[in-house]
Amino acid sequence: MASKYGGYMGKVLKIDLTSRQVSEYPFSDEDRELYIGGKTMAAKILGDHMTGKEKAFSEDNLLVVTTGPMTGSGAPSSSRFNISTLSPQTGYITSSNCGGHFGYYLKKAGLDALILTGRCDKPTWIEIQNEKVIFHDAGDIWGMKTGETQKALDDKLRMKNGRVRKNGKICIGPAGENLVLYSCIVSNERVSGRGGTGAVMGWMRLKAVCASGNKEVPVHDKEKMVKHTRKWFRYLREHPLTGNQLPRLGTAGLVSAMQMKHILSTKNYTYGQFDEFEKVSGEELAEKYNIVNKGCLTCPIRCARTVEVNGQQVKGPELETLVLLGGGILNDNLESILKWNYELDELGMDTISCANTISYAMEANEKGLWDNGLKFSETAELSQIFEDIAFRRGIGDELALGSKRLSEKYGGKEFAIHAKGMELAAYEPRRAAGLGLGYATSNRGGCHLNGGYLVILEGLGLSMNQTTYHGKADLTMLFQDLMEMISAAGQCLFTSYAFFPAPLMKHPNAWYTRLINKVLPYSGAVVRIINKYPEIACFHLPVFHHTKGFEYTTGMKMTFGNYIRCGERGYNLEREINRRFGVNANKDALPKRLTQSLQDPDDPDSRVPLEKMKKVYYHARGWNRDGLPTERTLRKLKILQDTRRSE
Amino acid sequence: MVRVKIFGTARLKAGVGTFERDVKNVDELLDVIPNLTRKEAKDLVLLVNGKPAGRRYRFRDGDEVVLLAPAGGG
Repeated sequence: MASKYGGYMGKVLKIDLTSRQVSEYPFSDEDRELYIGGKTMAAKILGDHMTGKEKAFSEDNLLVVTTGPMTGSGAPSSSRFNISTLSPQTGYITSSNCGGHFGYYLKKAGLDALILTGRCDKPTWIEIQNEKVIFHDAGDIWGMKTGETQKALDDKLRMKNGRVRKNGKICIGPAGENLVLYSCIVSNERVSGRGGTGAVMGWMRLKAVCASGNKEVPVHDKEKMVKHTRKWFRYLREHPLTGNQLPRLGTAGLVSAMQMKHILSTKNYTYGQFDEFEKVSGEELAEKYNIVNKGCLTCPIRCARTVEVNGQQVKGPELETLVLLGGGILNDNLESILKWNYELDELGMDTISCANTISYAMEANEKGLWDNGLKFSETAELSQIFEDIAFRRGIGDELALGSKRLSEKYGGKEFAIHAKGMELAAYEPRRAAGLGLGYATSNRGGCHLNGGYLVILEGLGLSMNQTTYHGKADLTMLFQDLMEMISAAGQCLFTSYAFFPAPLMKHPNAWYTRLINKVLPYSGAVVRIINKYPEIACFHLPVFHHTKGFEYTTGMKMTFGNYIRCGERGYNLEREINRRFGVNANKDALPKRLTQSLQDPDDPDSRVPLEKMKKVYYHARGWNRDGLPTERTLRKLKILQDTRRSE
Repeated sequence: MVRVKIFGTARLKAGVGTFERDVKNVDELLDVIPNLTRKEAKDLVLLVNGKPAGRRYRFRDGDEVVLLAPAGGG
């Protein structure tokens, strides 16, 4: 449905892969005002279809690919798109925000979103050119790895003059085809990594989608937006995190800071420090292997690395991969991690879940629960193991199920490090209690970003008391909602770091930074007021350029308070859908290793005080004791009439 | 003699990851970090033997000092 707002192309297509029927899906301006775009728009669409009886691998599931109004607007780091579906890994809604070019080209093709459902009768790839959908046989590219697939697709998109038509693409590798539960969808070198979206696409027998076109993204007030964007770029370039640390060291630059704060997951989250961390650090990567930095379209941060492996220039590892395939399995060989990172992307597997599944298996073997031959620090065979997982051969067939299912079969639930079935990221939460709460309550499972990323206050960017539970619940809610909305708008979450005024990051020893660090645990009451009544924040924050940018792009009135409220709506909507699939307070859990075993035997606070924080968090969110949004909360957020009508 | 380790972007600027210096206190250390001005050094987080230390900390022989900048990323 055409939109009066800027930033939207005004069209959502629903493609039934079984019947090959293509139809326009109604998404009105009223929907846009409430659900914006990205993961929240996807949640609205999923919520309208899902009753709680659907299965991930069934024709009832939907794979919803969405952009946000900021995607392709020219705003900083705004080439993002989102993929949401019912996850085969968790059984709940998953969403995965991805960079690269696809989101931009989907909009160039005239679409805000794609809804894929049903199942192709044979391997297929889809071409979308200026709203036109063409189905192609994918028999010749089925079985190919992701790099080879994308190259082959470019050849197919070659025009008469020999040039490749400019396009964005998403595709799966062998892992997705073979339904590895944590397989991902790859777009150029970027990855929609978490929750097993690749397996859903594989089950649909859909190898790839290519989008191209020549439409322009409309911007409501172009003149003001151009001026604002210049200012925004400058701000991000001058900020210590987005202008210095991330461009120069990438996310890998966090390894040393995590080591110092005891939050570097080591030996399957047994410890928070790795003795050999320097050998697998961001500094080592930058000094010895980094060739050039890369960024997504219109991104001033340019956090991606290009490294050389076996004479080939490939994407370098992100922090998560570096830590979980480094200290996580007691491996100090950086070159091996570079190689595995490339191999896992080529196979189309989430490096986080895969690494954690391997480390679970190593510990299960060490403890005599499962004789699988995998041992900590013995990594010579890992490349072969990854191939075996992707092609479901031998032990790989079992490892493809992830740590939760393996622990149910072999035991060791206390050290199967997942939340809701999805493995945790690289931050050890026993020294970052707020992040522990975030992992447990995240709608998509053990995710640091969907969980609110409070660790940035708990030792990385700022130095708030790491283990206290005071203030953590309210701050977690605020950051979860903030990141939800940034994602919905179609921007990179890294732009949110500019939310922290530059002086705090530049001068960690200044009196005002130290004061804020001390005060943060006591800020809960103030933060709760903002969370409860965000409308009082009826202004633009000078450090937070997103609201003005959103207003200039779309023409919708947007204040900081509105922004938070939209994020809150998205978060609650996903939770409400998950309720239909059985989520409740018991499912907001972490393995006992993190909540009952002390990281440091001499420090009684070095574990996640999860239950204490959950109680405050549910109250702050307006959820009942069972962790479910109350009717009052759903009405306040204008969700109720939408989500319960399908019951 | 204290052993100093620098991490993060400060290490790239310093051009050296580890060095040893004979300094009595933090204040003296700030003046002897390669390629970093005193002002830049003052803005680094300082840990001595793994624990946060203030500007008035007096070193003991064999102390291990870590200097790093605040960081963020996913």
